[in-house]
Amino acid sequence: MDVKIYEYDAVIVGSGLAGLAAAKELTEAGKKTAVITKLHPLRSHSGAAQGGINAALGAEDSTELHEFDTVKGSDYLADQDCVELMCTKAPETIRWAEHMGAVFSRDKEGNIAIRPFGGQSQPRACYAKDRTGLTLLQTIYEQADRAGIEVYDEWYASDIIYDDGKVSGVVAYNIKDSEVAIFNAKVTMFATGGNGRLFRFNSNAHANTGDALSIVARHGLPLEDMEFVQFHPSGLGGSGVLISEAARGEGGRLLNSLDERFMEKYAPNAMELASRDVVSRAIMEEVRQGRGVGKDGQSVKLDLTHLDPQIILTRLPELRELAIAFQGQDMLKEAIHISATAHYSMGGIPTNIDTQVQKNAAGDVVEGFYAAGECACVSVHGANRLGANSVLEAMLFGRHAGENMIKALDEGISLRKATVADADTCVNEMTTIKTSNGNERVPNLRNELQIGMTANAGVFRTKESLEKQLTLINDVLARFKNIRIDDKSKVFNTDLQEAIELGHMIESAKIVVVGALQREESRGGHYREDFPTRDDEKFMVHTYATMDEDYNVSIDWGKVTPGKFEPMERKY
Amino acid sequence: MSETQTVEQASTRKVTIKAWRFNAETDYLPYTKEYTMEVGKDELILDLMNRIKWEHDGSFSYRRSCRHGICGACAIKVNGKAVLACKQNAIELLDMFDNDITLEPSSKKRAIKDMIIDKSDFWEKHTAVKPYVIRDIESHPQAETKQSIEEFNNFLDSDLCIQCGACHYSCPALEVNDAFLGPAALNSAYRFTVDPRDEAGDERLSITAELGSGVWDCVKCFECAEACPKDIDPIGKIGKLHNLQFVRGIAESNIATRHAEGFLRGMKKTGFLDEADIVTYSEGYLGMYKHLGTAIKMMKTGKIHWHSGIPFIDSIPKIKNLDEVQKLIEISQTNKL
Repeated sequence: MDVKIYEYDAVIVGSGLAGLAAAKELTEAGKKTAVITKLHPLRSHSGAAQGGINAALGAEDSTELHEFDTVKGSDYLADQDCVELMCTKAPETIRWAEHMGAVFSRDKEGNIAIRPFGGQSQPRACYAKDRTGLTLLQTIYEQADRAGIEVYDEWYASDIIYDDGKVSGVVAYNIKDSEVAIFNAKVTMFATGGNGRLFRFNSNAHANTGDALSIVARHGLPLEDMEFVQFHPSGLGGSGVLISEAARGEGGRLLNSLDERFMEKYAPNAMELASRDVVSRAIMEEVRQGRGVGKDGQSVKLDLTHLDPQIILTRLPELRELAIAFQGQDMLKEAIHISATAHYSMGGIPTNIDTQVQKNAAGDVVEGFYAAGECACVSVHGANRLGANSVLEAMLFGRHAGENMIKALDEGISLRKATVADADTCVNEMTTIKTSNGNERVPNLRNELQIGMTANAGVFRTKESLEKQLTLINDVLARFKNIRIDDKSKVFNTDLQEAIELGHMIESAKIVVVGALQREESRGGHYREDFPTRDDEKFMVHTYATMDEDYNVSIDWGKVTPGKFEPMERKY
Repeated sequence: MSETQTVEQASTRKVTIKAWRFNAETDYLPYTKEYTMEVGKDELILDLMNRIKWEHDGSFSYRRSCRHGICGACAIKVNGKAVLACKQNAIELLDMFDNDITLEPSSKKRAIKDMIIDKSDFWEKHTAVKPYVIRDIESHPQAETKQSIEEFNNFLDSDLCIQCGACHYSCPALEVNDAFLGPAALNSAYRFTVDPRDEAGDERLSITAELGSGVWDCVKCFECAEACPKDIDPIGKIGKLHNLQFVRGIAESNIATRHAEGFLRGMKKTGFLDEADIVTYSEGYLGMYKHLGTAIKMMKTGKIHWHSGIPFIDSIPKIKNLDEVQKLIEISQTNKL
C-alpha cells in the first residue's frame, strides 16, 4: 500500500472545543498544524452541550466557591491544583469566547446571563439559550478557520507512533478513499472526546466510541479513573437523548408515578439540583421500587408545567422541540419522561496539569504527547463532574495544551522521522477486518456489549454484575475475531469504520469494568451496592489501568493532589 | 435494533422502504433497493437508515453523528423533501406519502455513495461570506462586551444554523445558477453582519450585493424556509440583507437595486404599483425593448395600458390619500440611490 508521510510541527486528533482551541493557538503562533477528525469539525460532540459553561461571574459568587463546589462534586477525587487553575481561569476563558463571537444570552445590564445548575452553591452556568455548546463550537471553529487552520476532515486516526517514551505523530486513513497516511509531528495531541457509546442507554453521538482511549492502551500506556462514568439524570426515556440540566436549573421538578417530588427523600436541601450522581441514583431507585412511569416503568417525570411558558420558549426552546420530536411530549402542557443516561467519562488519558500525557502512576510524562477534553483525565472532575464544567475544561485545557505545545516547539523539541513501516498496524487492522470471513456481525456484538454495560456496569454495580459483564466482554472480544463485514469498497466504508470502532469499544469497556471491580467503594458516579460507602483510607487514589497484548488489564494506583479543601461527607 | 425503541406492537406498521443506492467507485448508474421492516411510532428516519445498515446491508452509507438535531450531519431527502434524518419522525412521512418513501441524498448529482454527497460547494460558499467575527480579539479579556437583549434578539436565531445544507440543496436558484451563494451562506452573512462585535459588516454586505452571486439572485420562493430543520427562515435573513445594503449605503445603482427601488417610486407617484415604470426605471428605455413580448401580453390582459411607460403621459390613476402614502414613504425611507 502506498503510504504518504506528511510532516508537521503539531498534529491534533479531534476537532471539538479542545482540539480547535489548541489548533487556533498553534496556527496563530505560526506552527504548522494539522487537525484530523473523523467527522467535520462542526459535527463534533462539543456542539451538543446544552445548558451552560461555568465561571464565577455572579456578584455573590467567587472563584473559591467554584473550586469548592467542583471538589465536593468530584467526591474529593479531583486534583485540586488543576481545579484551582480551571476555576481561576474560567472567567477569562468565557470572556475570550464571548470576544470571539459566542452568542451568549444576556441579562438586563447586557452582561452574560447565568443560571443555576446542579451541585453549585451559586448560579454560575453562563448560557446561550439551551445551545451553549453549539455557539462555543461554532465560535472557536470560526476563529480557528479565520486563523487558517489545516483540517483533514473525514480522516480516521487509528494509531499513534510511540517508541522509547516519545510520540512522533499519528497514522490515519482517509474515510473518503481509504488512503493511509502518516502525520509525522514534533508534538501530538489527542482531543477525541468520550466513550458514552459503550452503553445501550446513552446521550452521546454515534461518533463517541472512545477510539483514542484504546489506541493509547494498545501501546501499554495507562488510562486513569475509567470506572467513573457519569449517568446524567435526564435522558429522554427510550432514546437516552439529553434533556439539559438547565430544565431543572430553570425550576423543573422530578416526580414519580405517585406524583411525589421524590428528591425530598434523597437531597432535602438541593432537591433536583443535587449533583448528577445523586439525582441519577435517586431516579433509578424510584424505578427499582416500582414507582417509575412510561411503557416499561423505567422513567420518571420531569415537570415544567408550573413555569411561565415564556421561560421555556425563550430559554429552553431546543429541549421542548426534542421532547416533542422524540416522544411526542410538549413540556408546556405535560411532564416529560426521563431516565438516567450514560453521558460522560470522568476518566481518560492521564495528564499532568500542563496536559502532558503520563506514562505511569508515578506521573512520568511521554515526550511530545498531550491530551485535553473528555478523552483526557487531568483530573478536574474526579469521581463526578459538575454540569457545565465539561465545556469549560475542554476549552480551557485545550487552549492550555496549545500554549504548552508552542512552548515545547519553541524550546526545540525534535522531529523523529517516521518510516512507512510505522503504518503497519493501521494497514493490518484495515486488511484483517476487510478480509475476515467469519459469521459474527458487528451490530450484534455491539448491541450485546451495550446492553450488558447498561445492565451490569451502570448506575448500580455489584461484584456479581461486574464479573458477569467481564465474562460477556471476554466472549465478545473472542467472537470479534470472527466477524464479517458486508462492505469491501474503499469509498466511505463506514462498515469498516464501525468494526474498527467496535474493537476500541470492547477494550475500553473492559478497562471500565476491571477498574470498577477493583474499586471496592462507592464514590461519585461509581456506586457499588456491596460497598455503599466511600473508603478514603483505601481508595482516595486514582486508578491507572494498563492492558497487555492479550487484553489482560492490570491496575495501579496514583496519588490524588490535595489542596485547601479537606474531604468531608458529601450532602446536598 | 433501532435507536429509539418501538412502543406497543400494535402501533408498528409493516412497510417497504426504498433507498437510492450508488457507489462512485463501482457503479455506473444508481439503483433503488427495497427493505421491509416494522416501523414504530417513535422511530425517526435515522433509525430506519440504521436498521437498513445494521439488519440488512452493512454497505449502506450515510453521514450521522449527534442523533438529536444539533450536528447537522444527516440531512437527506425523502421523496424530494429535505429532512434532517435524526429529527424526522418516520410515520409522519409514511402518512404524508401513503407508505411509499424513498430515501435519497440531498443532491443526487453530488452523490459519492448512497446518502453521502460531496458538499464542497456548500463549504466554499460558506467560506466566501467570511463567516467569523472580524476584529482584533483580546486574548485575555477582563470583561465581556456588553450586549443588550435587543441586540441579542436581532440575531433572529441566525446563529442556530447547523450547516446541514437542507436549504442549500433545496434552493432552485442555486440549481440553475452555480454562482449564487445560496440561503445558508447568506444566513451566515447576516449573522456576522448584525453582530455588534464585528467590524467587517460593510465588506460582507458588498459581497452579498454582487449581481449573480448575492441576495439579488434569490427568487423569493421560500423553499429554504420550508426545508430548514431548525426553523431559521433563511429567506427572512436575505430580506434583511437587502435592507441593510440600503441602510448602510452599500447598494449601488444597478438593474436589481433600481428594480427594488422602482416599486417605491411608483407608489410615491400614484399609490399604485406601476409595472411599466419599474421596467423603465430599472432597465431604461432601450431595456424596455427586451420585454416587448411580455408587454404585449400584459396589455392584452389589461395589466398595463398601451401608453404605459411613455414619459409625460399619466397612465396610472392616483389613489385618494396619496399624500398620506407619500408621508409614510418619507419617514420610513432609509436610502435613495
